[in-house]
Amino acid sequence: MTHTLHRLGTDISLLKEDFVVLVMPSKDINHVGSGPKLRRFFQLALEAGAIKIGDCRGGNEYYQGGVDRILENVEDRAVVHAVFKDRESLIRVLKSLKEADLGMSVVVSGLFDDVAECCQESGLKPHSINQSLGRWGATHKLPAGGVLEVHTMCGHGMVSVNLIRTMIDRVKTGKMTAEKAAEELFKPCMCGIFNPHRAAKLLTRLAAES
Amino acid sequence: MEIDSEKCTGCGRCLVYCPVEAISMKNREKPVVIQGKERTKVSVIDLDACAECGVCLRSARCPAGAIFQQELRYPRTIRSLMSDVLTIAEESQISGRGTEEMKTNEVTGRFKRGMVGVAIEVGRPITGTRLFDVEKIAMAVSALDVEFEPCNPVTSMMADAKRGKFKDELLNEKVLSAIVEFGIKTEQLPDLFNILEKSSREIDSVFSLDIACRLDPDGSNPTAPYIEASGLWVAPNGKTNVGLGRPLAE
Repeated sequence: MTHTLHRLGTDISLLKEDFVVLVMPSKDINHVGSGPKLRRFFQLALEAGAIKIGDCRGGNEYYQGGVDRILENVEDRAVVHAVFKDRESLIRVLKSLKEADLGMSVVVSGLFDDVAECCQESGLKPHSINQSLGRWGATHKLPAGGVLEVHTMCGHGMVSVNLIRTMIDRVKTGKMTAEKAAEELFKPCMCGIFNPHRAAKLLTRLAAES
Repeated sequence: MEIDSEKCTGCGRCLVYCPVEAISMKNREKPVVIQGKERTKVSVIDLDACAECGVCLRSARCPAGAIFQQELRYPRTIRSLMSDVLTIAEESQISGRGTEEMKTNEVTGRFKRGMVGVAIEVGRPITGTRLFDVEKIAMAVSALDVEFEPCNPVTSMMADAKRGKFKDELLNEKVLSAIVEFGIKTEQLPDLFNILEKSSREIDSVFSLDIACRLDPDGSNPTAPYIEASGLWVAPNGKTNVGLGRPLAE
């Protein structure tokens, strides 16, 4: 499940505003009783400045009926996430997680160099990495880069290209703000890892270019 | 997924939500009155193209409540398993299409030093895939004498996991994506890249390739020399396991 990988980005400055923290237990090793620990992560993430939280097992805040419901419904064996838009918030949550010592695995998606620096500032030592070696095969079928950058923020492919194009058009014609359009694009992403902050900036650019 | 033509008002709201463009608008043979208005259009789902991802049902919020999940029977159930993120896989007991892979590597020790985890996600992004394309990739990489990840639902779809051969009845099933997952020795990376370069010209869909590894004691990336020598593009962003899981595998 590489759903927080392959987040395409051509603008490094925007990638610097896109971090996803994933927390999960491991089957048959430490999953029993993990629910309360995962809930604690949500609390720490929100305190640190997460802009979105989500749960692969239960769905995002719109599907579950609010952020509070996500916290209430988290179960053992869930795979949970929080999205951050700046390094400072990421460092805060990493420091909190180190101190809380939940015993759950923590994976950060973001620019490798930035994440490594944030780990260093938090007193953590990266253990393993997962690298994207791009898209292969019939790549001529893929849309232009900007749309792909928005789409790949939902690794399960729930945010359709046509919905993205519809939102670009609404921003371009003034029917919707970029922020509102980005929030609409977040809704199909059940894990809640789509970053509406970065998406709004991409939509603004794409609307201006179209 | 299906749309009840007796409820659909033909508003077209659902069309743009479908990730695989399986929903289209048709003219009705005869106009019908629904919710007090005459309706000449109806939305229709092409069941062959539909990957059963559930996005239209959950996210399009059909004003007429016309979208419904029909009963799925094997082999079509595979579409939901591989496309709908909220479906739990029996093998992994987690939602989504893959496994714990490197995410829990500090407690499982799945990828030890000298080993590289490989995930080839066929159909991602956007194109989706028929499982016959996934089989082509799996059979090609089996030349490396790999053991496909037993916790990955894709491995359960194989009739012959040694050869990467899928069960015949699954080959034409369409999914948003399916991950061919296995481990190799680090020095096998050049052979893997050569196989995939050839396979990528033989499929009708796309795939996203990723590799996972444990970092060296000094924090360096043991795969970097191989990637550099191959000339392959590598993303500046990716996933970092920060080593907080307990108990540690070692």
